[in-house]
Amino acid sequence: MSNIKDRYAIVGVGESERSKNSGTTPLHLALDAARAALNDAGLQAKDIDGFMSYSENDSCTSHQLATYLGVRPKYVKDIMGGGSSTEMLIADAVGLIETGQVNTVLIYRSMNGRSGVRMGGGGWDVNLLQSVIEGGSFIIPYGAASPSQWFGLFATRHMHETGLTQEHLGHVCLSFYEHAQRNPKAFFYGKPLTMEEYKNTPYLSYPFNKHDFCLESDEANAIIVTSAERAKGCKSRQVYIMGLSARQCVSHAHYWNDLSEVAADYVAPEVYKMAGVKPEDIQVASIYDCYSWVVLRQLEAYGFAPRGEVGHFVAEGNLRMGGKLPSNTAGGMLSEGYTHGMNNVLEIVRQVRHEYKGTDRQVENCEIGICTGWAGPDMAGAMILRN
Amino acid sequence: MENQKPIPLKNQDNSPYWEGADRHELILQKCDSCKAYSHPPGPSCAKCGSTELSWERQGNDIHGKVYSYIISYRPFLPGFQDDLPLIIAIVELEKVKEVKLIGNILSCSPEDIAIGMPVKMIWKKMNEERSIPQWISE
Ligand SMILES: [Zn+2]
Repeated sequence: MSNIKDRYAIVGVGESERSKNSGTTPLHLALDAARAALNDAGLQAKDIDGFMSYSENDSCTSHQLATYLGVRPKYVKDIMGGGSSTEMLIADAVGLIETGQVNTVLIYRSMNGRSGVRMGGGGWDVNLLQSVIEGGSFIIPYGAASPSQWFGLFATRHMHETGLTQEHLGHVCLSFYEHAQRNPKAFFYGKPLTMEEYKNTPYLSYPFNKHDFCLESDEANAIIVTSAERAKGCKSRQVYIMGLSARQCVSHAHYWNDLSEVAADYVAPEVYKMAGVKPEDIQVASIYDCYSWVVLRQLEAYGFAPRGEVGHFVAEGNLRMGGKLPSNTAGGMLSEGYTHGMNNVLEIVRQVRHEYKGTDRQVENCEIGICTGWAGPDMAGAMILRN
Repeated sequence: MENQKPIPLKNQDNSPYWEGADRHELILQKCDSCKAYSHPPGPSCAKCGSTELSWERQGNDIHGKVYSYIISYRPFLPGFQDDLPLIIAIVELEKVKEVKLIGNILSCSPEDIAIGMPVKMIWKKMNEERSIPQWISE
Protein backbone atom coordinates (compact mmCIF):
# COMPACT_ATOMS: atom_id res chain seq x y z
CA MET A 1 0.00 0.00 0.00
CA SER A 2 1.30 3.43 -0.85
CA ASN A 3 1.79 5.81 2.03
CA ILE A 4 -1.08 8.29 2.05
CA LYS A 5 -0.09 10.09 5.23
CA ASP A 6 -0.82 13.82 4.92
CA ARG A 7 -1.63 13.47 1.21
CA TYR A 8 -5.41 13.77 1.63
CA ALA A 9 -7.50 16.34 3.40
CA ILE A 10 -10.96 17.02 4.70
CA VAL A 11 -11.88 20.38 3.21
CA GLY A 12 -15.55 20.74 3.99
CA VAL A 13 -17.98 19.76 6.70
CA GLY A 14 -21.63 20.66 7.07
CA GLU A 15 -24.90 19.67 8.59
CA SER A 16 -28.61 20.18 8.20
CA GLU A 17 -30.81 21.40 10.98
CA ARG A 18 -31.09 18.89 13.85
CA SER A 19 -34.52 18.07 15.22
CA LYS A 20 -36.75 15.38 16.60
CA ASN A 21 -39.26 15.77 13.81
CA SER A 22 -37.81 17.27 10.66
CA GLY A 23 -41.12 17.24 8.77
CA THR A 24 -39.09 16.64 5.64
CA THR A 25 -37.32 13.84 3.79
CA PRO A 26 -33.77 12.52 4.15
CA LEU A 27 -33.15 13.91 0.63
CA HIS A 28 -33.95 17.44 1.78
CA LEU A 29 -31.76 17.00 4.86
CA ALA A 30 -28.90 15.61 2.75
CA LEU A 31 -29.15 18.55 0.32
CA ASP A 32 -28.92 21.00 3.23
CA ALA A 33 -25.87 19.21 4.67
CA ALA A 34 -24.16 18.93 1.28
CA ARG A 35 -24.69 22.61 0.46
CA ALA A 36 -23.32 23.56 3.90
CA ALA A 37 -20.21 21.43 3.37
CA LEU A 38 -19.68 22.85 -0.14
CA ASN A 39 -20.02 26.35 1.23
CA ASP A 40 -17.57 25.54 4.02
CA ALA A 41 -15.02 24.32 1.46
CA GLY A 42 -15.69 27.11 -1.01
CA LEU A 43 -16.52 24.51 -3.66
CA GLN A 44 -19.40 24.12 -6.06
CA ALA A 45 -21.42 20.97 -6.61
CA LYS A 46 -19.82 20.50 -10.02
CA ASP A 47 -16.44 20.18 -8.27
CA ILE A 48 -17.63 16.98 -6.61
CA ASP A 49 -17.23 13.95 -8.86
CA GLY A 50 -17.91 11.25 -6.26
CA PHE A 51 -20.84 10.96 -3.86
CA MET A 52 -21.10 8.27 -1.19
CA SER A 53 -23.34 7.49 1.72
CA TYR A 54 -24.13 4.85 4.28
CA SER A 55 -27.50 3.98 5.67
CA GLU A 56 -29.75 1.24 6.88
CA ASN A 57 -32.19 1.79 4.05
CA ASP A 58 -33.44 4.90 5.82
CA SER A 59 -31.85 7.57 3.61
CA CYS A 60 -31.80 8.91 0.06
CA THR A 61 -29.31 7.66 -2.51
CA SER A 62 -26.11 9.41 -3.56
CA HIS A 63 -27.48 9.52 -7.06
CA GLN A 64 -30.55 11.42 -5.89
CA LEU A 65 -28.41 13.84 -3.93
CA ALA A 66 -26.20 14.56 -6.94
CA THR A 67 -29.20 14.91 -9.21
CA TYR A 68 -30.80 17.58 -7.04
CA LEU A 69 -27.55 19.42 -6.60
CA GLY A 70 -27.79 19.69 -10.37
CA VAL A 71 -24.69 17.70 -11.21
CA ARG A 72 -23.82 14.46 -12.93
CA PRO A 73 -20.94 12.87 -10.98
CA LYS A 74 -18.65 10.13 -12.22
CA TYR A 75 -19.18 7.93 -9.24
CA VAL A 76 -21.90 7.18 -6.70
CA LYS A 77 -21.99 4.57 -3.96
CA ASP A 78 -24.38 3.74 -1.15
CA ILE A 79 -23.45 1.14 1.42
CA MET A 80 -25.35 -0.50 4.23
CA GLY A 81 -23.59 0.59 7.36
CA GLY A 82 -23.49 2.46 10.60
CA GLY A 83 -20.77 3.26 13.10
CA SER A 84 -17.30 3.26 11.48
CA SER A 85 -18.77 3.66 7.99
CA THR A 86 -17.60 7.28 7.85
CA GLU A 87 -13.97 6.19 8.24
CA MET A 88 -14.53 3.37 5.76
CA LEU A 89 -15.99 5.63 3.08
CA ILE A 90 -13.22 8.20 3.58
CA ALA A 91 -10.73 5.38 2.97
CA ASP A 92 -12.68 4.36 -0.14
CA ALA A 93 -12.62 7.97 -1.35
CA VAL A 94 -8.87 8.17 -0.83
CA GLY A 95 -8.45 4.97 -2.83
CA LEU A 96 -10.54 6.29 -5.70
CA ILE A 97 -8.69 9.60 -5.78
CA GLU A 98 -5.33 7.83 -5.50
CA THR A 99 -6.13 5.71 -8.55
CA GLY A 100 -7.34 8.69 -10.54
CA GLN A 101 -10.99 7.68 -10.69
CA VAL A 102 -12.26 10.88 -9.12
CA ASN A 103 -10.87 14.11 -7.65
CA THR A 104 -13.15 15.15 -4.83
CA VAL A 105 -15.70 13.12 -2.89
CA LEU A 106 -18.64 14.14 -0.73
CA ILE A 107 -19.71 11.62 1.93
CA TYR A 108 -22.93 11.99 3.86
CA ARG A 109 -25.29 10.35 6.33
CA SER A 110 -28.88 11.49 6.34
CA MET A 111 -31.63 10.12 8.52
CA ASN A 112 -34.92 10.86 10.18
CA GLY A 113 -33.51 8.89 13.11
CA ARG A 114 -36.20 10.04 15.53
CA SER A 115 -39.34 10.62 13.49
CA GLY A 116 -38.62 7.92 10.90
CA VAL A 117 -36.70 4.66 11.24
CA ARG A 118 -35.43 4.38 14.82
CA MET A 119 -32.26 2.45 15.65
CA GLY A 120 -33.23 1.58 19.18
CA GLY A 121 -35.52 -1.18 18.00
CA GLY A 122 -39.17 -1.84 18.60
CA GLY A 123 -41.94 -2.64 16.20
CA TRP A 124 -39.86 -5.07 14.17
CA ASP A 125 -41.19 -8.32 12.78
CA VAL A 126 -39.64 -10.99 15.01
CA ASN A 127 -39.22 -13.56 12.26
CA LEU A 128 -37.56 -11.02 10.01
CA LEU A 129 -35.19 -10.13 12.87
CA GLN A 130 -34.29 -13.78 13.33
CA SER A 131 -33.43 -14.14 9.65
CA VAL A 132 -31.49 -10.94 9.09
CA ILE A 133 -29.45 -10.95 12.30
CA GLU A 134 -26.49 -13.31 12.40
CA GLY A 135 -27.41 -16.16 14.75
CA GLY A 136 -30.79 -14.45 15.19
CA SER A 137 -32.68 -17.57 16.22
CA PHE A 138 -30.28 -17.91 19.18
CA ILE A 139 -30.89 -14.35 20.39
CA ILE A 140 -34.38 -13.13 19.52
CA PRO A 141 -36.30 -15.95 21.32
CA TYR A 142 -34.58 -14.79 24.50
CA GLY A 143 -35.83 -11.24 24.23
CA ALA A 144 -32.52 -9.71 23.16
CA ALA A 145 -33.31 -7.39 20.28
CA SER A 146 -31.57 -4.12 21.10
CA PRO A 147 -27.90 -3.12 20.70
CA SER A 148 -28.11 -1.89 24.30
CA GLN A 149 -28.63 -5.50 25.35
CA TRP A 150 -26.03 -6.99 23.02
CA PHE A 151 -23.36 -4.45 23.95
CA GLY A 152 -24.50 -4.60 27.56
CA LEU A 153 -23.40 -8.23 27.74
CA PHE A 154 -19.90 -7.07 26.79
CA ALA A 155 -20.13 -4.21 29.26
CA THR A 156 -21.10 -6.31 32.29
CA ARG A 157 -18.27 -8.77 31.65
CA HIS A 158 -15.69 -6.07 30.95
CA MET A 159 -16.73 -4.07 34.02
CA HIS A 160 -16.44 -7.23 36.11
CA GLU A 161 -12.97 -8.01 34.79
CA THR A 162 -11.52 -4.52 34.98
CA GLY A 163 -13.23 -3.03 38.03
CA LEU A 164 -15.28 -0.44 36.16
CA THR A 165 -18.30 0.81 38.08
CA GLN A 166 -21.57 2.50 37.26
CA GLU A 167 -19.99 5.74 38.44
CA HIS A 168 -17.35 5.39 35.72
CA LEU A 169 -20.09 5.10 33.09
CA GLY A 170 -21.56 8.20 34.71
CA HIS A 171 -18.32 10.14 34.28
CA VAL A 172 -18.48 9.55 30.52
CA CYS A 173 -22.05 10.88 30.43
CA LEU A 174 -21.29 13.85 32.68
CA SER A 175 -18.24 14.84 30.65
CA PHE A 176 -20.14 14.82 27.36
CA TYR A 177 -23.21 16.56 28.80
CA GLU A 178 -20.85 19.24 30.07
CA HIS A 179 -19.52 19.76 26.54
CA ALA A 180 -23.09 20.05 25.26
CA GLN A 181 -23.55 23.10 27.50
CA ARG A 182 -21.16 24.97 25.16
CA ASN A 183 -22.99 23.85 22.03
CA PRO A 184 -26.33 25.61 21.53
CA LYS A 185 -27.16 23.15 18.75
CA ALA A 186 -26.92 20.13 21.08
CA PHE A 187 -30.15 18.49 22.17
CA PHE A 188 -29.02 18.60 25.80
CA TYR A 189 -27.84 22.22 25.69
CA GLY A 190 -29.15 23.74 28.90
CA LYS A 191 -29.58 20.32 30.46
CA PRO A 192 -26.45 19.48 32.45
CA LEU A 193 -26.26 16.26 34.41
CA THR A 194 -25.02 15.68 37.95
CA MET A 195 -23.64 12.41 39.30
CA GLU A 196 -26.44 12.28 41.84
CA GLU A 197 -29.06 12.58 39.11
CA TYR A 198 -27.24 10.01 37.01
CA LYS A 199 -27.05 7.50 39.84
CA ASN A 200 -30.68 8.01 40.79
CA THR A 201 -31.88 7.26 37.27
CA PRO A 202 -33.40 3.78 37.08
CA TYR A 203 -31.83 1.21 34.80
CA LEU A 204 -33.42 0.67 31.41
CA SER A 205 -31.21 -2.26 30.66
CA TYR A 206 -28.63 -2.94 33.34
CA PRO A 207 -25.82 -1.83 33.33
CA PHE A 208 -27.28 1.11 31.38
CA ASN A 209 -29.77 3.79 32.32
CA LYS A 210 -31.22 6.24 29.80
CA HIS A 211 -28.21 8.57 30.10
CA ASP A 212 -25.92 5.79 28.89
CA PHE A 213 -27.91 5.56 25.63
CA CYS A 214 -27.27 7.76 22.63
CA LEU A 215 -29.93 10.12 21.34
CA GLU A 216 -32.05 9.81 18.25
CA SER A 217 -32.28 12.72 15.87
CA ASP A 218 -33.40 13.79 12.43
CA GLU A 219 -30.40 15.25 10.67
CA ALA A 220 -27.84 14.95 7.89
CA ASN A 221 -24.08 15.50 7.95
CA ALA A 222 -21.64 15.79 5.06
CA ILE A 223 -17.86 15.69 4.65
CA ILE A 224 -15.75 16.55 1.60
CA VAL A 225 -12.45 14.74 0.96
CA THR A 226 -9.86 15.63 -1.65
CA SER A 227 -6.13 15.47 -2.29
CA ALA A 228 -3.76 17.72 -0.34
CA GLU A 229 -2.94 19.47 -3.62
CA ARG A 230 -6.53 20.33 -4.44
CA ALA A 231 -7.16 21.22 -0.81
CA LYS A 232 -4.86 24.23 -1.19
CA GLY A 233 -7.44 25.89 -3.42
CA CYS A 234 -10.22 25.52 -0.86
CA LYS A 235 -11.60 28.23 1.39
CA SER A 236 -11.44 26.25 4.63
CA ARG A 237 -8.38 25.51 6.71
CA GLN A 238 -7.39 22.03 5.57
CA VAL A 239 -7.26 19.14 7.95
CA TYR A 240 -4.91 16.39 6.81
CA ILE A 241 -5.48 12.68 7.18
CA MET A 242 -2.44 11.19 8.89
CA GLY A 243 -3.72 7.68 9.29
CA LEU A 244 -6.79 5.68 8.55
CA SER A 245 -7.87 2.18 9.35
CA ALA A 246 -10.93 1.67 7.22
CA ARG A 247 -12.34 -1.28 9.02
CA GLN A 248 -11.29 -4.31 11.03
CA CYS A 249 -13.50 -7.19 12.05
CA VAL A 250 -13.77 -10.08 14.47
CA SER A 251 -15.94 -13.09 13.72
CA HIS A 252 -19.72 -13.05 13.95
CA ALA A 253 -22.00 -10.08 14.08
CA HIS A 254 -24.57 -10.12 16.91
CA TYR A 255 -23.74 -13.53 18.36
CA TRP A 256 -20.34 -12.93 19.88
CA ASN A 257 -18.65 -15.85 21.57
CA ASP A 258 -15.59 -14.03 22.72
CA LEU A 259 -16.34 -11.00 24.89
CA SER A 260 -12.65 -10.37 25.52
CA GLU A 261 -11.86 -8.85 22.12
CA VAL A 262 -13.41 -6.07 20.09
CA ALA A 263 -12.50 -4.94 16.58
CA ALA A 264 -11.11 -1.66 17.95
CA ASP A 265 -8.27 -3.68 19.52
CA TYR A 266 -7.11 -4.46 15.97
CA VAL A 267 -7.76 -1.01 14.52
CA ALA A 268 -5.57 0.82 17.04
CA PRO A 269 -2.13 -0.54 16.03
CA GLU A 270 -2.95 -0.05 12.33
CA VAL A 271 -4.03 3.54 12.62
CA TYR A 272 -1.15 4.57 14.89
CA LYS A 273 1.39 2.88 12.64
CA MET A 274 0.09 4.63 9.55
CA ALA A 275 -0.06 8.02 11.25
CA GLY A 276 3.33 7.56 12.92
CA VAL A 277 2.02 8.80 16.26
CA LYS A 278 1.30 7.39 19.70
CA PRO A 279 -1.74 7.91 21.92
CA GLU A 280 0.15 10.54 23.94
CA ASP A 281 0.64 12.65 20.80
CA ILE A 282 -3.12 13.17 20.49
CA GLN A 283 -4.82 16.16 22.12
CA VAL A 284 -8.47 15.77 21.17
CA ALA A 285 -10.76 12.85 20.37
CA SER A 286 -14.15 11.89 19.03
CA ILE A 287 -14.93 8.47 20.37
CA TYR A 288 -17.94 6.60 19.05
CA ASP A 289 -20.50 6.81 21.83
CA CYS A 290 -23.65 4.87 21.06
CA TYR A 291 -23.43 3.86 24.75
CA SER A 292 -21.24 5.25 27.51
CA TRP A 293 -19.46 1.94 28.05
CA VAL A 294 -18.39 1.80 24.40
CA VAL A 295 -16.25 4.89 25.11
CA LEU A 296 -14.52 3.20 28.06
CA ARG A 297 -13.76 0.09 26.05
CA GLN A 298 -12.31 2.18 23.22
CA LEU A 299 -10.16 4.27 25.57
CA GLU A 300 -8.59 0.95 26.52
CA ALA A 301 -8.33 -0.29 22.92
CA TYR A 302 -6.74 2.91 21.65
CA GLY A 303 -4.26 3.02 24.53
CA PHE A 304 -5.38 6.21 26.28
CA ALA A 305 -5.36 4.39 29.58
CA PRO A 306 -4.19 0.88 30.41
CA ARG A 307 -6.73 -1.86 30.96
CA GLY A 308 -7.99 -1.57 34.51
CA GLU A 309 -7.21 2.15 34.75
CA VAL A 310 -9.75 3.53 32.32
CA GLY A 311 -12.26 4.24 35.09
CA HIS A 312 -9.72 6.29 36.98
CA PHE A 313 -8.84 8.11 33.74
CA VAL A 314 -12.41 9.31 33.20
CA ALA A 315 -13.06 9.98 36.90
CA GLU A 316 -10.07 12.35 36.88
CA GLY A 317 -11.92 14.43 34.30
CA ASN A 318 -9.67 13.61 31.39
CA LEU A 319 -12.51 13.66 28.85
CA ARG A 320 -13.44 17.20 29.91
CA MET A 321 -11.95 20.49 28.72
CA GLY A 322 -8.53 20.84 30.31
CA GLY A 323 -8.22 17.06 30.72
CA LYS A 324 -5.66 14.88 28.97
CA LEU A 325 -8.06 14.00 26.16
CA PRO A 326 -11.08 16.26 25.75
CA SER A 327 -13.48 14.04 23.84
CA ASN A 328 -16.76 14.43 21.99
CA THR A 329 -16.55 18.15 22.60
CA ALA A 330 -19.86 18.93 20.87
CA GLY A 331 -21.59 16.61 23.33
CA GLY A 332 -21.28 13.42 21.31
CA MET A 333 -24.12 11.13 20.46
CA LEU A 334 -24.99 10.92 24.17
CA SER A 335 -25.98 14.58 24.32
CA GLU A 336 -25.54 16.42 20.99
CA GLY A 337 -27.37 14.32 18.40
CA TYR A 338 -27.00 11.14 16.42
CA THR A 339 -26.00 10.65 12.82
CA HIS A 340 -24.46 7.23 13.23
CA GLY A 341 -21.08 8.70 14.12
CA MET A 342 -20.67 11.41 11.55
CA ASN A 343 -21.50 14.32 13.85
CA ASN A 344 -18.51 13.31 15.97
CA VAL A 345 -16.29 13.41 12.88
CA LEU A 346 -17.50 16.91 12.00
CA GLU A 347 -16.58 18.07 15.49
CA ILE A 348 -13.05 16.68 15.41
CA VAL A 349 -12.43 18.42 12.07
CA ARG A 350 -13.60 21.71 13.57
CA GLN A 351 -11.46 21.28 16.68
CA VAL A 352 -8.33 20.45 14.69
CA ARG A 353 -9.00 23.49 12.46
CA HIS A 354 -9.24 25.65 15.61
CA GLU A 355 -12.60 26.82 14.39
CA TYR A 356 -13.71 27.66 17.95
CA LYS A 357 -10.62 29.75 18.68
CA GLY A 358 -11.34 32.49 21.15
CA THR A 359 -14.22 30.58 22.75
CA ASP A 360 -14.36 28.14 25.64
CA ARG A 361 -15.28 25.38 23.22
CA GLN A 362 -11.81 25.26 21.62
CA VAL A 363 -9.47 22.58 22.96
CA GLU A 364 -6.20 24.36 23.68
CA ASN A 365 -3.17 23.51 21.54
CA CYS A 366 -4.87 20.72 19.68
CA GLU A 367 -2.85 19.80 16.64
CA ILE A 368 -3.67 16.12 16.30
CA GLY A 369 -7.03 14.45 16.82
CA ILE A 370 -8.44 10.96 16.56
CA CYS A 371 -11.92 9.83 15.69
CA THR A 372 -13.02 6.29 16.23
CA GLY A 373 -15.93 4.38 14.79
CA TRP A 374 -17.66 1.42 16.35
CA ALA A 375 -20.18 -0.54 14.29
CA GLY A 376 -20.27 -3.00 17.15
CA PRO A 377 -17.81 -5.19 19.00
CA ASP A 378 -17.30 -6.90 15.63
CA MET A 379 -16.41 -3.95 13.37
CA ALA A 380 -14.49 -0.74 13.89
CA GLY A 381 -12.51 1.94 12.06
CA ALA A 382 -10.52 5.01 13.03
CA MET A 383 -8.83 8.08 11.60
CA ILE A 384 -6.11 10.42 12.87
CA LEU A 385 -6.13 14.04 11.66
CA ARG A 386 -3.80 17.02 11.96
CA ASN A 387 -4.05 20.64 10.96
CA MET B 1 -51.97 -18.58 28.01
CA GLU B 2 -50.80 -18.92 24.44
CA ASN B 3 -47.14 -18.23 23.81
CA GLN B 4 -46.50 -14.78 22.30
CA LYS B 5 -42.72 -15.00 22.37
CA PRO B 6 -40.69 -15.47 19.21
CA ILE B 7 -40.06 -19.15 18.44
CA PRO B 8 -36.64 -20.03 17.00
CA LEU B 9 -36.77 -20.31 13.22
CA LYS B 10 -35.20 -23.49 11.97
CA ASN B 11 -33.04 -23.32 8.87
CA GLN B 12 -30.60 -25.61 7.09
CA ASP B 13 -27.71 -24.54 9.32
CA ASN B 14 -29.35 -24.73 12.73
CA SER B 15 -32.13 -27.34 12.53
CA PRO B 16 -30.27 -30.15 14.35
CA TYR B 17 -29.78 -27.80 17.31
CA TRP B 18 -33.44 -26.81 17.51
CA GLU B 19 -34.71 -30.29 16.78
CA GLY B 20 -32.55 -31.47 19.67
CA ALA B 21 -34.08 -28.78 21.86
CA ASP B 22 -37.56 -29.95 20.90
CA ARG B 23 -36.54 -33.39 22.28
CA HIS B 24 -35.00 -31.67 25.33
CA GLU B 25 -31.47 -32.46 24.34
CA LEU B 26 -28.46 -30.20 23.65
CA ILE B 27 -26.66 -30.82 20.35
CA LEU B 28 -23.66 -28.76 19.28
CA GLN B 29 -22.01 -28.30 15.92
CA LYS B 30 -18.34 -29.26 15.79
CA CYS B 31 -15.69 -28.96 13.11
CA ASP B 32 -14.08 -32.25 12.07
CA SER B 33 -11.03 -30.45 10.69
CA CYS B 34 -9.96 -28.15 13.55
CA LYS B 35 -12.14 -29.69 16.29
CA ALA B 36 -13.57 -26.29 17.28
CA TYR B 37 -17.19 -26.06 18.32
CA SER B 38 -19.24 -23.74 16.15
CA HIS B 39 -21.90 -21.77 17.93
CA PRO B 40 -24.13 -20.41 16.58
CA PRO B 41 -24.03 -23.25 14.05
CA GLY B 42 -23.35 -22.20 10.48
CA PRO B 43 -22.74 -23.39 6.95
CA SER B 44 -19.05 -23.95 7.73
CA CYS B 45 -16.62 -23.61 10.60
CA ALA B 46 -16.20 -19.98 11.72
CA LYS B 47 -12.67 -20.76 12.87
CA CYS B 48 -11.17 -22.49 9.81
CA GLY B 49 -13.81 -22.40 7.08
CA SER B 50 -14.04 -26.18 6.79
CA THR B 51 -17.33 -27.68 5.67
CA GLU B 52 -16.55 -30.97 7.44
CA LEU B 53 -18.98 -30.51 10.31
CA SER B 54 -20.74 -32.89 12.60
CA TRP B 55 -23.26 -32.66 15.42
CA GLU B 56 -22.27 -33.78 18.90
CA ARG B 57 -24.91 -34.83 21.41
CA GLN B 58 -24.44 -33.39 24.89
CA GLY B 59 -27.41 -35.02 26.60
CA ASN B 60 -29.86 -33.25 28.85
CA ASP B 61 -27.93 -32.79 32.09
CA ILE B 62 -26.24 -29.51 31.23
CA HIS B 63 -24.56 -27.21 33.71
CA GLY B 64 -22.81 -23.93 33.32
CA LYS B 65 -21.77 -20.65 34.86
CA VAL B 66 -23.02 -17.15 34.16
CA TYR B 67 -20.32 -15.50 32.03
CA SER B 68 -22.12 -12.19 31.59
CA TYR B 69 -25.63 -10.80 31.83
CA ILE B 70 -27.90 -7.82 31.44
CA ILE B 71 -31.17 -7.03 33.14
CA SER B 72 -33.83 -5.63 30.86
CA TYR B 73 -36.49 -3.45 32.44
CA ARG B 74 -38.25 -2.77 29.16
CA PRO B 75 -39.63 -5.33 26.70
CA PHE B 76 -38.02 -4.94 23.29
CA LEU B 77 -40.03 -7.82 21.80
CA PRO B 78 -43.60 -9.10 22.09
CA GLY B 79 -44.25 -11.74 24.72
CA PHE B 80 -41.79 -10.42 27.31
CA GLN B 81 -43.98 -7.74 28.88
CA ASP B 82 -44.89 -10.00 31.82
CA ASP B 83 -41.31 -11.23 32.36
CA LEU B 84 -39.72 -7.98 33.51
CA PRO B 85 -37.14 -7.53 34.76
CA LEU B 86 -35.76 -10.05 32.28
CA ILE B 87 -32.29 -11.46 32.80
CA ILE B 88 -30.48 -12.18 29.55
CA ALA B 89 -27.25 -14.04 30.18
CA ILE B 90 -24.35 -15.66 28.43
CA VAL B 91 -23.65 -19.02 30.03
CA GLU B 92 -20.33 -20.82 29.76
CA LEU B 93 -20.93 -24.57 29.54
CA GLU B 94 -19.22 -26.60 32.22
CA LYS B 95 -18.22 -29.43 29.85
CA VAL B 96 -17.50 -27.36 26.74
CA LYS B 97 -16.09 -24.10 28.04
CA GLU B 98 -15.51 -22.61 24.60
CA VAL B 99 -19.24 -22.65 23.93
CA LYS B 100 -21.26 -19.85 25.45
CA LEU B 101 -25.02 -19.88 25.10
CA ILE B 102 -27.33 -16.89 25.34
CA GLY B 103 -30.43 -17.57 27.38
CA ASN B 104 -32.60 -16.25 30.18
CA ILE B 105 -31.99 -17.01 33.82
CA LEU B 106 -35.50 -17.81 35.00
CA SER B 107 -36.86 -17.35 38.51
CA CYS B 108 -33.90 -15.22 39.53
CA SER B 109 -34.13 -11.75 41.01
CA PRO B 110 -31.86 -8.90 39.84
CA GLU B 111 -30.28 -8.85 43.32
CA ASP B 112 -29.18 -12.48 43.05
CA ILE B 113 -27.71 -12.62 39.56
CA ALA B 114 -23.90 -12.51 39.41
CA ILE B 115 -21.08 -13.47 37.10
CA GLY B 116 -19.88 -16.96 38.01
CA MET B 117 -23.25 -18.08 39.33
CA PRO B 118 -23.79 -21.82 38.67
CA VAL B 119 -26.83 -22.57 36.55
CA LYS B 120 -28.57 -25.63 35.18
CA MET B 121 -30.27 -26.01 31.81
CA ILE B 122 -33.99 -26.62 31.66
CA TRP B 123 -36.27 -26.83 28.63
CA LYS B 124 -39.10 -24.42 28.32
CA LYS B 125 -42.03 -25.50 26.16
CA MET B 126 -43.11 -22.83 23.65
CA ASN B 127 -46.00 -24.88 22.24
CA GLU B 128 -46.89 -28.54 21.63
CA GLU B 129 -43.89 -29.18 19.36
CA ARG B 130 -41.28 -26.62 20.28
CA SER B 131 -39.00 -26.12 23.28
CA ILE B 132 -35.99 -23.93 23.96
CA PRO B 133 -33.17 -24.35 26.45
CA GLN B 134 -33.28 -21.96 29.41
CA TRP B 135 -31.46 -21.71 32.72
CA ILE B 136 -32.24 -21.76 36.40
CA SER B 137 -29.89 -21.17 39.29
CA GLU B 138 -28.43 -24.37 40.79
ZN1 LIG C 1 -12.70 -25.69 11.88
